[in-house]
Amino acid sequence: MSAHPTDYIKPELMACCGAREISDGDVVIVGTGFPAMAANIAKYTHAPNAALMQESGVYDARPLRPALSVGDPCLNPGAAMIAGLVEVIGMFLQGGWVDVGFLAGSQVDKYGNINTTVIGDYKNPKSRLPGSGGANPIGSLAKKVLIIALHDRRRLAERVDFMTTPGYIDGPGSREKWGLPPQTGPKVIITNKAVLGFDTLTKEAYLQTYHPGTSVDEVVKLTPWDLKVADDVHETEPPREEELKVMREILDPHRMIRIYESRGYV
Amino acid sequence: MGKVMSMKEAIERHVHNGQFLFIGGYICRTPFAAIHEILRQKKKDLTITRSNAADDFDMMIGAGAVSRFISTFLSLGVYGLGRCYRRSIEKGIPHRIELEEYTNLSLPMMLMAGAMGMPFVPVKDMVGTDLLNIKSFMGEGKYKIIESPFDGTRTVLVPALKPDLAIIHVQQADKHGNAQMWGIGGDCKVGANAAKKVIVSCERLVSRETVGKDPSRTIVPDFKVVAVVEEPFGAHPGYTPGFYDVDFAFGSLYQKSSDTVQGFENFMNEWVYGIADRTAYTQHYIERFGYGAFKKLQAGFDYGYPVSYAY
Repeated sequence: MSAHPTDYIKPELMACCGAREISDGDVVIVGTGFPAMAANIAKYTHAPNAALMQESGVYDARPLRPALSVGDPCLNPGAAMIAGLVEVIGMFLQGGWVDVGFLAGSQVDKYGNINTTVIGDYKNPKSRLPGSGGANPIGSLAKKVLIIALHDRRRLAERVDFMTTPGYIDGPGSREKWGLPPQTGPKVIITNKAVLGFDTLTKEAYLQTYHPGTSVDEVVKLTPWDLKVADDVHETEPPREEELKVMREILDPHRMIRIYESRGYV
Repeated sequence: MGKVMSMKEAIERHVHNGQFLFIGGYICRTPFAAIHEILRQKKKDLTITRSNAADDFDMMIGAGAVSRFISTFLSLGVYGLGRCYRRSIEKGIPHRIELEEYTNLSLPMMLMAGAMGMPFVPVKDMVGTDLLNIKSFMGEGKYKIIESPFDGTRTVLVPALKPDLAIIHVQQADKHGNAQMWGIGGDCKVGANAAKKVIVSCERLVSRETVGKDPSRTIVPDFKVVAVVEEPFGAHPGYTPGFYDVDFAFGSLYQKSSDTVQGFENFMNEWVYGIADRTAYTQHYIERFGYGAFKKLQAGFDYGYPVSYAY
């Protein structure tokens, strides 16, 4: 049984939650920040044979500093392959080779649909967001999608204002109806309060585990849909000593992950 | 007549109001020297495209050069949302650009189709989402859904894109235009080859013989290229692998400046309109931030092993 230090911050816990969803040998498309951290924790602990790639065209990068974007120059030296979007998104993702994709959403709904396009009306927006980028193809085509989101009644929604990236769309049968590949779709929503899984029948996100320091009641209150709770709901396992060691000594010695605290991940 | 010329000449001759431009770069190799020249020459009514646009597209939009944007994404990366982009869409400042939105799968595939002379290409994404519910200047031509003639499955088709001109920045090129690049590619290769003609901006001009020592690195052949511009530091504040790193401090300066219309105008006067060319820009950079800051961006050396093409 691994030790659980108590001096961790919430973004570190969330990165560990992501890492634990990755199996050895998985092919993973990662972005920056949480996803890169999570995927690398997995690689340094239980999944040494996970294969990581960035949509910009990089496969098996060996960066010497945490990458600040998927186009970061530190991803170049040492990578096993560098090409471009047509190769990584067009060939590997569209070709059906990607097991795990990570996505962050400004707004995420109960079916795991993600909005990164616009808050408010599309034609008359309150806030114009970046757009899809690689999110829509990753959400459409990766076998297992892990979603990172802030947990409040604004960031989580019954229905997104704009569906940039498909989760389970309108519920059971939707992905199949639209012809998305079988056995694909969101696996969990990892928030700063909890990990939500997806019900195999209703395709609705439900409470799987709640993070230390919160409770089932609090999480339910912070969720804008009628959140179902797993029969075996329990507290999220805190970061293990080895996971923190990998993060703090190898992946992120300057602890840049702290910037997520200022973005509300507390 | 030779293809090697100044950026001023290249833009004067080959960029015209109302054109459709592919502008390469993915944080890496952003052709910023060319973009600044386009803005100095007050080009207007441009349609621009690239997957994952960043500060360069934001600047063109803020400067009022853009009418239409075939997009997938625009942000300032670690510095958040594109300020000029937001002002254009949310408030119509300086005017509201028209957007046709795709994804980092569909757009590179559309450029690939353009490069290959195919009329359209099937893609497996976008279905079931609002990306299929929004259509702008491409109207019904944004996409089509058909039943595959092979197996009857529902298939999304997107049209080929054929920009009038591509502008790319690479590490090296010869005077004929053979352009060599290494490192993260984004959609640079398909975008450049989809265009009817290409302006190549490069860190260094090399001989045809040098190109021939490692020809697998060439992404655009000379017959597509109409202008070659040697423009060291030409992608700053973006990076060029083997030459210089991303300038995060400058990225922050752009973000803070572009927070307001006045700040953006001041930035543009200082770094674009009041500057003659890339050499003057680099000089201004060194005067403003010191040689140490400039030197710090320069890449170290980490050469690969030479490859042999002998037989």
